[in-house]
Amino acid sequence: MSEKNREGKRNARDKMQEARAAEEAKARRNKKLAVGGVVVAVIAAAVVVGVVVQNQRSKPETPTAAPAGTIGDKNLVIPVGAADAPSTLTVYEDPRCPACGSFERSFSPTIDQLEDAGKVYVNYHIVSFIDRSLGGNGSKYGANALGCAQDAGHFRDYHDVMYRNQPEETEDSFGSKQTLIDLAKQVPGLDTPQFQGCVNGGTFSGWVSAVQQDFDKSSYKSTPTVLLNGEPIYPKKGDEQISPENLVKWVDAANQGKQLGTPGSHGQSPAPSSTAGESNNPPSP
Amino acid sequence: MAGQQADGGRPSGWRRAVDGAAAEWFGLAVRLGLALVWGWAGLAKVSDPAEAAQAVRAYEILPESLVKPVGWGLPFLELALALLLVLGLGTRIVAIVSGVLLLVFIAGISSAWARGISIDCGCFGGGGAVDESQTEYLQEILRDSGFLLLSAWLVYRPRTKLSVDAWLAA
Repeated sequence: MSEKNREGKRNARDKMQEARAAEEAKARRNKKLAVGGVVVAVIAAAVVVGVVVQNQRSKPETPTAAPAGTIGDKNLVIPVGAADAPSTLTVYEDPRCPACGSFERSFSPTIDQLEDAGKVYVNYHIVSFIDRSLGGNGSKYGANALGCAQDAGHFRDYHDVMYRNQPEETEDSFGSKQTLIDLAKQVPGLDTPQFQGCVNGGTFSGWVSAVQQDFDKSSYKSTPTVLLNGEPIYPKKGDEQISPENLVKWVDAANQGKQLGTPGSHGQSPAPSSTAGESNNPPSP
Repeated sequence: MAGQQADGGRPSGWRRAVDGAAAEWFGLAVRLGLALVWGWAGLAKVSDPAEAAQAVRAYEILPESLVKPVGWGLPFLELALALLLVLGLGTRIVAIVSGVLLLVFIAGISSAWARGISIDCGCFGGGGAVDESQTEYLQEILRDSGFLLLSAWLVYRPRTKLSVDAWLAA
């Protein structure tokens, strides 16, 4: 073989190897692109499916069923007392919130008396977010039971009984529907098959979720949030600490010169005569 | 390796450790560990759409119109990352996405901390406003930084044992 010929052969071999290497590199690139495509497709599909699924699973912000007598936009608010009372007390409470429990045990007799005197119209937002941080269902089931009590015309009494029997925050006894029904026995006329069906069936769970979503979007972040004619008064109004005496004083000051309301019957029993806070013990049946 | 021998012929222990089979087993552990984190985070946020949305809203960063899509889509993104990590498919890309997501989370938590907002990060369910005494920003950031290290390792060394990537490359 001549030198020239040999050289030509080597060139041909080199070229072939180069071509093969280029092909392999191309195949590797294609494989990488394909893997990348699959990864991106999986992620995109998951996110799109997720948004669609969660959209369908989420409860509407406008409830399909609200307890009788609820008021406001979308019927999310439970009113107690005279609608024509000169002052409005707005209360955001979670059934499982310990600060709400202590607020209620100190203030509910006073608030009941202010309602009965036609001095305040109380608007309750029954929120239910403690379950989120602590797990369980006590906030949601408790809020539903309060809706059921409102539907039966016994909101105020059941609400007071509930907070007087509130468990420790970490203890989810309101997560037991039977406990909620047992508590209703302390309110004359409330423990009916209808109420039990409402508690057990979660009749107002959509409403509970709507109330919570409304709270989510509000600027309020904790419970209890208490407003007197729109102004926050818990734990302080300006520099003054809230107390039953101060609450009465603030309401009277706001009502000065205005005509008191006429409390209609909500099937509620009158307030106890003392303004003293009540103990945490369940009243004897 | 030629490169190592050129700079004095020292056997590079680091190089060997990073390229060896042991490193690929270590990579498998890292991959599965990160998969566990994303799977756990995703599942914890799937159950309650309203809660997931509120956890996002609490950061007060996104406009209301984006709160729900993000709150609803994020857990599924996390689950997709977990799935891909378990399979070991496209490990480097997945690790990059993981790292970017973790950086976004760390930035979000830092921003909430800096602005004095009291929230739970909502990283593994929950979320939303909490009492000032209950914030755990430092722990949350350190935890996410740890996960970020796992992602970084996989970006650096995406080759791992028992992965679809290895199977495809064979």
